[in-house]
Amino acid sequence: MSDTDDTNETRTDGGEPATDGGETGIVAPDDETPTWQERKTRKSGLSQLTYEYFERARREDQELREESDYVERDVLGFPTWPHEIIRNGAISLFFVGMILLISAALPPSLELPANPSSTPSIILPDWYLYWSFGLLKLNPLNPGLAVLDGSKLISDQLYGVLANVVVVGAVAFLPFLNKGSARRPVEQPFWAAIGAGGAFFAITIAAIAVQNLIPLPLALQLNIAFIGPVVLGVMTYALLKTLREGYMYGLNRRYYMLRPPK
Amino acid sequence: MSLEKQDDFDHRTWLKRKDLTPIETVFLTALIYIDKRLRIVDYLELLEDAYYKVNLQMPKSHTEQYDLDNKFWYWYPLYSLGFFSVLAYIVAAVSGALLGFYYSPSAAGDPTVAYQSVKMIMQDVQFGYALRSIHRWAAQIMMAAVFLHMLRVYFTGSYKEPRELNWLLGIILISLSMVFGYTGYLLPWNQLAFWAGQIGVEMALATPIVGEWGAQLLFGGFTLGQATLVRMYILHVFILPFVVTALIALHVGIVWVQGIAEPH
Ligand code: HEM
Repeated sequence: MSDTDDTNETRTDGGEPATDGGETGIVAPDDETPTWQERKTRKSGLSQLTYEYFERARREDQELREESDYVERDVLGFPTWPHEIIRNGAISLFFVGMILLISAALPPSLELPANPSSTPSIILPDWYLYWSFGLLKLNPLNPGLAVLDGSKLISDQLYGVLANVVVVGAVAFLPFLNKGSARRPVEQPFWAAIGAGGAFFAITIAAIAVQNLIPLPLALQLNIAFIGPVVLGVMTYALLKTLREGYMYGLNRRYYMLRPPK
Repeated sequence: MSLEKQDDFDHRTWLKRKDLTPIETVFLTALIYIDKRLRIVDYLELLEDAYYKVNLQMPKSHTEQYDLDNKFWYWYPLYSLGFFSVLAYIVAAVSGALLGFYYSPSAAGDPTVAYQSVKMIMQDVQFGYALRSIHRWAAQIMMAAVFLHMLRVYFTGSYKEPRELNWLLGIILISLSMVFGYTGYLLPWNQLAFWAGQIGVEMALATPIVGEWGAQLLFGGFTLGQATLVRMYILHVFILPFVVTALIALHVGIVWVQGIAEPH
């Protein structure tokens, strides 16, 4: 099918780079079909702005793509078949096999049936909820107020619920607190320290959930739960600060030449 | 007016003029036949357009933009954790669908029908014991993978612009996964299930303003019973599977469009 004699290529958009989406409609654009440019000028207000923005965004993409060597470079990646598929398939099968193996080796038990009249001494959810359960048990930290004769401003349960809300909210808010383009922990020792401390706190607060299994006084447990992560954070910070200079030197000098740290 | 068909685009002569192999002839003839009747060319064009849109990447990846040549990073193996979450989720979904054939969410009787159906699964159903084990472990491993995935996203700074929304979506996903696990935990209606449910109701009631309403909505009342079990069941097998699957698809779709965040 090398024969192209009948092909007559018609330009329909007046020679401008095709960034206005006019070519992708079902009906081939003719003189009647408004281009994005024309649609834009017919509109006003918000819809005009929308069209203007779309046009800009498309042009920007187009230009970046034109000056990029992404598509043309020699090795774009491994071919999907067979390389990627076989490798991914092998990893997936191994992982699923691991799940099956663990299930075969450690089957779950079925406890006694529900009995509303006998409270078990240990009530626990699955392990991944321990952190939340631990936060619910923070009642020893719920301050009593002198003005209220030492009674508490909010109930212990509400205090625990609020602790959960605060922790989840803080984590959700992260991308709006730590901005910038740093990626490696060494580049931002402070945030790495927060992360290490936070991950450790998830474990220590989980221990509070099983406090009655731990042979330590509750006050000591609470101290460990809160001070431990801070200590780990400080250690992380100190370690990364120390490593930073030597590490960054060898890391990628060109990176700093291109984008000097702020 | 002549009855002879006037064809401006005489495809048959065009075909003859070309020097085609039999396969090409058959293909083109079939294509022209169908296209004359259904105008499929338009749809092919749409498909082609969609194909290129699907393959869209951000114009330049980070390593290219800054011309960095060390493209491997020793953190990369941890980038498989998101995929492992998906895999474990699929294993849990399949085994859960099979468990669904045998489980019945009824708190009637003593011990309850729900409890007895789980017992039946474990003692009488062929491979039932294995099925329940696989379902539980897949769920546990999924949660572990999700936590670790979140840590890797944190420590590689992958949540930064333009990926903030995917981070928020991730928070929603991990929360819903935990609710998924919690509702499933209550289904066998054993001691732990019952008392974990009790704590859930107490926490809901402790929340100001929306608390009582929330307890009614999620637990079907302030004391645990049939209504609670059915609500947990509907959440676990009907609502959450669809919602979480859709959100995972969206999450991974966004990663697809944005590309994986690259280190320097
Ligand atoms: C049901 C749970 C989840 C599933 C199935 C899931 C799946 C995935 C997958 C397959 C990727 C592609 C890259 C990779 O595998 O690492 C990804 C990326 C990402 N995930 Fe998740 N994820 C889940 C939960 C979360 C959570 C809890 C967060 C954070 C709060 C999160 C934030 C992100 C972000 C920001 C990316 C983009 C990372 C990058 O571009 O390097 N995800 N997710």
